[in-house]
Amino acid sequence: MQIYLPIAELSMNLFFLVGIGGAVGFLSGLFGVGGGFLLTPLLIFSGVPASVAVASVTGQVVAASTSGALSHYRRGGIDLHLALYLVASGIVGAVFGVAAFDLLRSAGQLDFVISLGFLVLLGSVGTLMLVESTRSLLKSRKGVVVRERLPNQHNWIHGLPWRVRFKKSRLYISVLPVLVIGVFIGFVGSLLGIGGGFIMVPALVYLLRVPGSVVIGTSLAQVVAMMAATTMLHAVQSQSVDILLAFCLMVGGTVGAQFGAAAGKQLRGEQLRGLLALLVLAVAIRFGFSLILTPADVFSTEVLGGAN
Amino acid sequence: MTRLLVALLLSLLLALPASAERLVSQLSNESIEITSSFDGERMTFFGSIAPDAGSEQKFVTGPFHVVVVVLGPTQDRVAREKTHNFGIWLNTDRVEFDNFPSYLQVLSSGRLTDITDVTTLTANGILPEAYTLAASTADWWKTEIFSRELVRLMGEEGLFGIQENGVNFLSDNFYSARLTLPSNAPPGPYVALTFVFKDGEVIARKSEGFSVRKIGFERFLALSAVQQPLLYGLICVLLALFTGWLGGALFKR
Repeated sequence: MQIYLPIAELSMNLFFLVGIGGAVGFLSGLFGVGGGFLLTPLLIFSGVPASVAVASVTGQVVAASTSGALSHYRRGGIDLHLALYLVASGIVGAVFGVAAFDLLRSAGQLDFVISLGFLVLLGSVGTLMLVESTRSLLKSRKGVVVRERLPNQHNWIHGLPWRVRFKKSRLYISVLPVLVIGVFIGFVGSLLGIGGGFIMVPALVYLLRVPGSVVIGTSLAQVVAMMAATTMLHAVQSQSVDILLAFCLMVGGTVGAQFGAAAGKQLRGEQLRGLLALLVLAVAIRFGFSLILTPADVFSTEVLGGAN
Repeated sequence: MTRLLVALLLSLLLALPASAERLVSQLSNESIEITSSFDGERMTFFGSIAPDAGSEQKFVTGPFHVVVVVLGPTQDRVAREKTHNFGIWLNTDRVEFDNFPSYLQVLSSGRLTDITDVTTLTANGILPEAYTLAASTADWWKTEIFSRELVRLMGEEGLFGIQENGVNFLSDNFYSARLTLPSNAPPGPYVALTFVFKDGEVIARKSEGFSVRKIGFERFLALSAVQQPLLYGLICVLLALFTGWLGGALFKR
């Protein structure tokens, strides 16, 4: 069944849209990431204009993350205090990210920066996570008890000034690294059209040493707030949010996220992180190839200005 | 005196065209409405070649050729080229095409090169190259290269095309042409230019307009996104939050 998307100005198969929304929603429920880094490239590949894809996916990510965030909230798995700091700094980053987005688009280098950004970010984050999760999996196989938090592994980040107590995370740390992470994720997220959960989760785990019980919930809460703000920014600035496209993806995404969250309970933290690492690496390699391999078509064309 | 009369008569005879034809044509739809189930639309262009009003002729003699050019609303477009630099493929070269048609289909009753010569085709805006040359902002050499590629890319998107069997003659002077407008055809004013050729010359032409526009809910959404962007964005966010909450609430055991 075809449905006409009024902002993208083309018609697409309804079941295809709900289907990819559902598949990505499953993964986002499973890993506690928004799933934008999978959905945006999928839509662009299906023929949706890049600006509409990026803007509409932000709306879908809000929906996919809301149900997850709510269920984590009910279980007490969100550090609201920490999330507030991350969101406030994230919005600052997003404003700069949207400006950079416009600048690069007019220079014609947006797809290059997106590919390079995905390659560097996903590649490094994926490798780090894979190494760490394999190590801890191997350790637990050998019967070594792995504690959730390693008290003696405070790094230099914990020695910075302006310390704040985050009760739920059982942390007493400087706000500086929290703000830097927030600004960075806001910037990268709005530039690449992703929620940034896949950077947020490892950043919270490895840099701030936030305990595993609140990592995913806090990351989801931050994604919901950040993506809601970014959706508004896109709606006002580029006017390229396609509400019908976003809604089709949302319906699939929220249903998929429920199954993903249920499946996630069957797996251990290290296993989840290992699987996410593999997924992230696969996307990184795909983007790496697009930079190095001879493209199928060296020419491309695009309408200048808005779609209208 | 008689010589003068003969000369006058001769000049009158010469002034009268050998034949005068006019084109009577019609479109199947004057506006194409985009609704939620819009998945492209079929259109028919039909018409007949008749003796010109006021001429002595009772019938027209062919053979005729008909070419229909359907043009979409214009846009500013950019074509880019990637090159290999230090192991990475980068967009390095670009040409902008201003006021370039977003849609162009040429339907004809035979091979265009059999109907007339390339100069006539280009001068009447029948070949896509006529539009790339006019719209290009670059020098002629870059225009040459990028024009060909742009026309090819537009063709791959289904927006540009030439169908040399697109016009069918049902009798000696009655033709019909069918066109399927794709779902990604941009909304806006369209124009259909019809040319009648005889012995390689344009003997009649006509242009007709039609519009492709969103109606109903689709129009409401597209307008709100532009006129009330803040409200539109807010509704998107609320819809997302509600859908997310509903999904969670429904699936909670």
